[in-house]
Amino acid sequence: MFKPEIIGFVCNWSLPKGVDVASPPGIKGYPKMHVVRVMCAGRIDPVIVLDTFARGADGVIVISCPSPDCHYIEGNLQAENRFKMLKKLLSLTGLEPDRLRLDWAYATEIEPFATIVDDFRNQVIKLGQSPLSGEKPDKKILLNVLAAKNAAADFRLRTLTGREEELVQVANVYGETIPQEQFDDLLYEIVEEEFFQRKIHILTKQKPLSVKELAAIMDAKPTTVLRHIVDMRRKGMIILDHIEKTAPLYKALEVQ
Amino acid sequence: MTAISQTKTQKRRLPPCRAACPADVNVQGYVALIQQGKFKESVELIRRTMPFPAICGRVCFSPCQDACTRKEIDKPVGVRYLKRLAADIEREQGRIKPDPILQTHKEKVAIIGAGPAGLSAAYELVKLGYPVTVFERMPEAGGMMRYGIPSYRLQKFVVANEIAYIKDLGVEIKTGAEFGKEIQLDSLRSEGYKAIFIAIGAQLSQKLGVPGEDLGGVFHAVEFLRDISLGKIIDVGEKVAVIGGGNSAIDAARTSLRLGAKNVRILYRRSLKEMPALPHEIEAAEEEGVKFQFLATPKQIIGKEGRVCAVECLRMELGEPDASGRRRPVPIKGSEQIFEADTVIPAIGQLPQTSFLPSVLFDEHARAISVDPLTLETNIPDVFAGGDITTGPASVIEAVGAGRRAAVSIDRYLNGEDLKARRDEEVEETTWVKDWGVITKKPERYESLHIDLGRQKVSFEEADEHLAKSKETAVLEARRCLGCGPCSECLGNEGLCDADKAVVDEALCTGCNLCAVVCPYGAVKKNEAEIAQIDESLCKGCGICSASCPERAITMRQFSEAQILANVTTALGREAG
Repeated sequence: MFKPEIIGFVCNWSLPKGVDVASPPGIKGYPKMHVVRVMCAGRIDPVIVLDTFARGADGVIVISCPSPDCHYIEGNLQAENRFKMLKKLLSLTGLEPDRLRLDWAYATEIEPFATIVDDFRNQVIKLGQSPLSGEKPDKKILLNVLAAKNAAADFRLRTLTGREEELVQVANVYGETIPQEQFDDLLYEIVEEEFFQRKIHILTKQKPLSVKELAAIMDAKPTTVLRHIVDMRRKGMIILDHIEKTAPLYKALEVQ
Repeated sequence: MTAISQTKTQKRRLPPCRAACPADVNVQGYVALIQQGKFKESVELIRRTMPFPAICGRVCFSPCQDACTRKEIDKPVGVRYLKRLAADIEREQGRIKPDPILQTHKEKVAIIGAGPAGLSAAYELVKLGYPVTVFERMPEAGGMMRYGIPSYRLQKFVVANEIAYIKDLGVEIKTGAEFGKEIQLDSLRSEGYKAIFIAIGAQLSQKLGVPGEDLGGVFHAVEFLRDISLGKIIDVGEKVAVIGGGNSAIDAARTSLRLGAKNVRILYRRSLKEMPALPHEIEAAEEEGVKFQFLATPKQIIGKEGRVCAVECLRMELGEPDASGRRRPVPIKGSEQIFEADTVIPAIGQLPQTSFLPSVLFDEHARAISVDPLTLETNIPDVFAGGDITTGPASVIEAVGAGRRAAVSIDRYLNGEDLKARRDEEVEETTWVKDWGVITKKPERYESLHIDLGRQKVSFEEADEHLAKSKETAVLEARRCLGCGPCSECLGNEGLCDADKAVVDEALCTGCNLCAVVCPYGAVKKNEAEIAQIDESLCKGCGICSASCPERAITMRQFSEAQILANVTTALGREAG
């Protein structure tokens, strides 16, 4: 039977004692998932989760304290806000979004914890092996996941996510707040843009490519690609490499 | 904020040991500190809730140990011995004298009775900033801890040391002031005391009510033990009969041995199983040679020339369970039996001295001051009462619990707040399932932690020479704790639970201030160069800033991204595709 490789990022305060904790150096843990203990679920950077998928995990679950009992006051809210961005990014990669879950548990209650893990495991078993696991990972999806990972490291996205509460609930100096819907739309728009640009960045890093070639690889309109190319040149992400016949070829620059 | 709600955690559920403690002592917390060899800190933690770590380490009936989850696997963690060792280590190394607490309130509080209830109420109130005076009729403070428990169980200097700590904080103790004589409720009010806490305990022995009780050679247990503690010399002769099955009876019997009695017999009307005395006390008495006569109740005390010469007893059999859940003893007719005795010590219970109490306070039927069990308020608004005077004879730790409750009530009363609000919240205990995961195999209880009595020599020196003074053993014993509660809130920041710290890479930081926005503790400040600085005394190592930093300039010392991903890689057994 298929045995999924599940990574559980569990907050120190949600991890029931008696479960052999997988902290450095060795990871043992609950056989149904690999427990990676962290101090707070709010510490889980989307970059870490996407990297974990890139490394071939079949499923990733993040377990935090239920609101309002976060040990670090609001780390679980931070985790939740970041998860919104993460889910959106994941949906762009072609990996099933159900391979990722955020859930809540108390360290004092072992049975609910076990139920969560079992339930998630069954969900992952239904999805089967991750296309990124094994010797020959799906190149297209891997490219997408790496692009998503780079997008998650982006300044703009991270700032927006980190300031969600401030922007939506606490008013700015002019007493203005942004409605939640509007914020989400903005967030998703930026997620899509960043994802697209990071993908171009990775592709042009391998070899110089033209707009037409990029549009073909990415299955997008050449005008869309061009718009992003212009933007990326302005940001200093890519540079004109050389011109073949009439088509300019672009090459990635080192960023961050 | 009250004294108690400050110490309660917002997290759901308490570990069973802490839930069982009448004084809400953070048991898991101080055991966790001992695991790290932090004995002094563990004593500090105990002092957050009660001022008697060394006393309770010796004489507590340790409900925490009875509740310990570890007993499901082998034996409970030896909590009481750990507490005693920690307190002894602190005392031997020299306790640092605390600074007196600043008085932030004007309202004076009077406490009548310097026993565990009165002293712990004074302790909590002085910590809240009230001027507190404790009145005590005996020459020394301590109540039953000083005059009830014999010195081979609890040395007088141990009691004195813990009371000195309370005095150091600023509590005034006036000895030689007896309630009903030197002080009255009215006289206290006219001296400007705004609230009064009565904790005078149960200082009279209950009478047997059989003929011959007033003969020479009959000493009632409370008075007997008090006289010994006061240094009186009592000749008990060769044969002593103690009547009763509680701790006082055992104390009276073991004290008699130390006074030179050769033949000490405890007469108890039920059987060993029903004895209310602590099991290890019964064991120790047996080893010292005290004999037990179960199912025997005195019918009369026989005298010769005005002095005791024997006790006539009736044999009993056990009938149906009574209100206390124990089987009621029923006398067997015609089963009279005579035990010779030079001294008879009835130890069948204690009663409060009530003749001078205002009758409005006293409930004649219950033979106690009637109070609201939650708030300890009496029929008189500015008068509160707690401890044995309201419950009948109980334990040190229960009295401490009452003192703490009274302190909260008095604080609220003086501030005009609701006495009852948010106090009867039910305490939920943690559950713990045996077959979950792997429990690291740890050795059974370290046997040297069992009472290793200096029983070969029966003296008034403290007999309980336990532990072999080994810190290492104590640390190992403490590690047997399963940590049932989520966070013990032991407040021992460093190194206990991987307290992590954030680190800023100043070359990467652009001063966007997002870290300061997300940090729940306000631990991030910017310096003149607009670079984020982490205040390590505030940083609790959650890592939220690290996961938020747009420039990825913040990393964690322990749970760094590289470390987390290394764990992931080890788990998956392969590198990124």
